Amino acid sequence: MREVHAREGISGLRAMVLEASRALALLDAPRLQELALSCEALNRQLGQADAGLRRDLAGQAREAVDDMEVFRRVLEATRANLNVMRRLRAMRWGELEYKVPGAGAMAAAEQAENGDGNN
Amino acid sequence: MGTINSAMSLIGGALDANQEALNVVANNVANANTPGYAEEKPDWRENTPITVGGVQNGDGVTETGTTSQRDRVLEERLDQQQQLASASSTRLTALNNIQALFTPDSGSSSATAGDIGSDITSFFDSFSSLEADPTDNALREQVLTSASTLAGDISSAANSLNTQSAALNQDAAGIATQVNSLTSAIAQLNLQIQSTSPHADAGALEDQRQQDMSQLSQLVGINQVTTENNGLSITTTSGQLLVSEGQSFQLTTGTVNGATDFFVGGTDITSELASGGGQLGGYLTARTQDIPNALNSLDQLAYNISTAVNAKNNAGVDLNGATGTATNPLYIFSEPTQVAGSAATMKVTMTDPSQIAAASAGNETGDNSNAVAMAALANQPIVNGQTPINSYSNFVSTLGSTVLEVQTENTAQNASVTQLQTQNNALSSVNLNDEAAAMSTLETSYQAASQVFTLLNTIMASALNLGEQTTVS
Repeated sequence: MREVHAREGISGLRAMVLEASRALALLDAPRLQELALSCEALNRQLGQADAGLRRDLAGQAREAVDDMEVFRRVLEATRANLNVMRRLRAMRWGELEYKVPGAGAMAAAEQAENGDGNN
Repeated sequence: MGTINSAMSLIGGALDANQEALNVVANNVANANTPGYAEEKPDWRENTPITVGGVQNGDGVTETGTTSQRDRVLEERLDQQQQLASASSTRLTALNNIQALFTPDSGSSSATAGDIGSDITSFFDSFSSLEADPTDNALREQVLTSASTLAGDISSAANSLNTQSAALNQDAAGIATQVNSLTSAIAQLNLQIQSTSPHADAGALEDQRQQDMSQLSQLVGINQVTTENNGLSITTTSGQLLVSEGQSFQLTTGTVNGATDFFVGGTDITSELASGGGQLGGYLTARTQDIPNALNSLDQLAYNISTAVNAKNNAGVDLNGATGTATNPLYIFSEPTQVAGSAATMKVTMTDPSQIAAASAGNETGDNSNAVAMAALANQPIVNGQTPINSYSNFVSTLGSTVLEVQTENTAQNASVTQLQTQNNALSSVNLNDEAAAMSTLETSYQAASQVFTLLNTIMASALNLGEQTTVS
């Protein structure tokens, strides 16, 4: 695998944030899960970083601030979309329950019991 | 550094594969399928059951027609997000054009509007130079030259903003024609759809109407209300009726105070449209908000520099021993009478450098105290409580923040449109199991992204703290 640092002047941390926004826009769940694992690993290793790396990461973090805001907005939009889809799904399941197979037969049976049948 | 980089390199593969801008992704997804098409599925009606020996037996089903697999809720959400994305995209283009006017052109030797910051510094510095030898003609010439450069660049920027505003007016008026064409088509489709339903599904007609709605959403901010027999009424986001079932209401334009305004049935709805969304919303926001804000900042700068410098020079003594009078004032710049329009008309009216009043009243012509006072204006809060250079810097910085904010908004909105199109495609073309899978992908993606966000936030906060500690030690 290649070092992210080598890409067109984009720092590794910033590349991670950009990748997270891109993956979320495309609903690439496996990629996001992979990113989560990378972030966990990075977070664990951060405590053992030497002085040079600390400075480097601080610079990378500053570079990534604007992209982090984009990621936050995409996440917010996703939450709103998810709410819409959940409501939609609830409505659709409601319709399915209303039209459950055999519902017509049950209604007919009720009619029969009320004396509208052959008896 | 190896360990951290190895963690980062885990994501390298996907970055190499695709690092396109999010809005490009959105466009690709949008074009992946035939616009507006929704798969049709048969409708089935359960037949009356047959009772044999007290036990009811189903008697199968009968096909009653077809229904397009579209979902109004999702389509409305998609239309709404497209309106926002389209508005921010249009506004962003306009803002980038505005910002380009104030971006210094380092490669050019000629003065440009982007150099206004250095023009201000050079102008006040020319008075500092004059302090050394107030009778020197070359130094006096230099004051007028730097004044001309400053005035020229400010008026050039203001005139360019006015030109951009006129172009936005024209573009916005063009949108009205497209809106009218679409609302007329939707009204016609409404009539056809209503005459078809409820006896049969008007799938193809509804697809066409949805496609028109989608186009309309990119042009203007709208709300839609489903009416009887699958009809549709459309209003602007502020509630002005554009389509009422089979009838459409035309958007007309007219000139009000030199700008194109928009009317429906005689009511001016320009400000409502500006905040409504769509391309028209973007054009109008840029025209009514972003350009006037930039012009106002330039006007304030031009007005306050001109009046402050003129007042000082008029109060001093020039090289001929003269002071300014009511009939023959010693003004360097044309004296503005009001703030509005000061930038566009800013120019140097003084042609004789000997009229620069370097000496204070009551002093000989060799005195430099008024030149000192004029140079000192650079550090005085003469522009709305700020020094001229700080006022200009704040304006450019605020403009940059606005561009960044709209850019961020636009990227997120495009991402949202991409997600909704993915969901809509899943709903339009697949069975319920696949729809459940699409929903699950959305939920999983959201959860994983939330986790990534939280972790990145922690990492960035820690990195910044670690960096600061390193700097201190």
